Amino acid sequence: MSAASEVPAIAALVRERLPEVPFTASETKTYADLRVAPARLLELMTGLRDDPDLAFDLLRNVVALDMEEEGLAARYQLYSFRHSHALQVSVAAPLAAPVLPTLTGLWPTADWHEREAAEMVGLVFSGHPDPRNLLLEEDLRIHPLRKAHPLQQAEILQGIEDGPPGVDR
Amino acid sequence: MAIWPEERTAAAGDLDTVDMTVNVGPQHPATHGVFRMVLTVDGERVVGCEPYIGYLHRGLEKLTENADYRQAMGWWDRTDYLAGMCCEGAYVMAVERLAGIEAPERAEYIRALMMELSRINSHFMFLGAFGADVGSFGTSFTYAWRERERIYDLFEEVAGDRMFPTYFRIGGVTMDLPANFERRCREVLASIRQGLEDLDGLLTGNEVFVERCRGLTPVTPEWAIARGVTGPMLRATGLAWDIRKAEPYGVYPKLDFDIPTGRQGDVFDRFHVRLAECYQSARMVEQCLEAMPGGRVLAPKLPKTLRINEGELYFPTEGTKGEYGVYLMARGGTQPYRAKLRSPSFCNLSALRELVVGTYVADAIVILGSLDIVLGEVDK
Repeated sequence: MSAASEVPAIAALVRERLPEVPFTASETKTYADLRVAPARLLELMTGLRDDPDLAFDLLRNVVALDMEEEGLAARYQLYSFRHSHALQVSVAAPLAAPVLPTLTGLWPTADWHEREAAEMVGLVFSGHPDPRNLLLEEDLRIHPLRKAHPLQQAEILQGIEDGPPGVDR
Repeated sequence: MAIWPEERTAAAGDLDTVDMTVNVGPQHPATHGVFRMVLTVDGERVVGCEPYIGYLHRGLEKLTENADYRQAMGWWDRTDYLAGMCCEGAYVMAVERLAGIEAPERAEYIRALMMELSRINSHFMFLGAFGADVGSFGTSFTYAWRERERIYDLFEEVAGDRMFPTYFRIGGVTMDLPANFERRCREVLASIRQGLEDLDGLLTGNEVFVERCRGLTPVTPEWAIARGVTGPMLRATGLAWDIRKAEPYGVYPKLDFDIPTGRQGDVFDRFHVRLAECYQSARMVEQCLEAMPGGRVLAPKLPKTLRINEGELYFPTEGTKGEYGVYLMARGGTQPYRAKLRSPSFCNLSALRELVVGTYVADAIVILGSLDIVLGEVDK
């Protein structure tokens, strides 16, 4: 993404309220986007939820992405009922160790979103209370939404257990 | 959150009971599709609930990522298959925003009209099926089906198909409305209003129905928001939040409508909010009929092959079950690099376990019915 010429207003507000968390701001077609390092994700998210001027109380959506050569990534869409503002937080995770902190402690709704992201793309959410497959068969260890995964293939899918979770065969 | 405060442990000296596991679904009329939940019951009391989803997983996102932007639309109809037009609208408007295409005003009005008819259609499905869940057997179902049939007939006249019309296009709609549409639509609206009166009398006027729903699993707005619960379920808690007003899209800013809310977020309020929303949707359909300008229904000079360069967006719409959001990422080419559906049924259903534990088995069915899930949307 190209760097935004000017920082969106909501990003400036976040910078003012949470000066200790480094992030780069840009804009999507609908909302501002804050890019943060995986190690600072939990800190940023806690601030976004708990700061009274930000008060993002709804975790709308979690998107897991396979960016191929750039590794894996995630997008979190947030909304605040108190201030009627919204933004997106994006984070990249290296393919070798695609580990992100779980947000289930902040928003219980993250539970199913993260389970889906884990099975479909192979992100690993450390500290997730229930890291089982959600939509896929319980013992499947494939990640169908990886770009390398074929769209169609004659495959025997049941009972594929070799390989640790998070690694596509 | 303790919804049912009573202790389930028996007093000393009482008979011991053994917990029993009851499997409900995936083929079960009360689960409204292929949904399975494993209930642990102590007598009549539910002490555990484990939902299993994914039986209808068709790989919507992977299929969209491997199809042309226009071809992919047919898949999105089949998410919330009770309101195909709403899903089409969300996807089409997301692509338009990403590509910078604007639909003509007439097309926007037609879309809003179709989406509101779809919403009524979906809510009728809920009203009928929910009545059956609570115990009115076939009557409410038949009443609801009578009206749904009329709406489907109207869709067939407009688009040539009933459930999966694929009527919208990126940049407008496929074709203009038929010549007698306004007259036909007003006929259907009159019939819908009568149908709503009938259902209201049959269900709200039934003391058994009200007694079973009133006060069952009341929830607060804070509880709902933390669990990602949106749509009529959130409005039932008293919070007047509707994306058509909060983050409006299409012609919704020009339409005049109210947001029905409940008071305590219990099962009855969820039912009643949906009933009231049907009247609001009917109002919006009438306004669309009156305000609809003439002109084209498809934007001129659309590219033969739609290519979108770098860009991403999350586009939320008010689906029939809650926030129906579409995330799209483009990295050049004719196909989206990533497509993701934020499914309201999926998020609402994730709160089921907390709602059901502590209630009675018969109430668990009613609570599941009150969530108004559609499995095509849950499983994607």
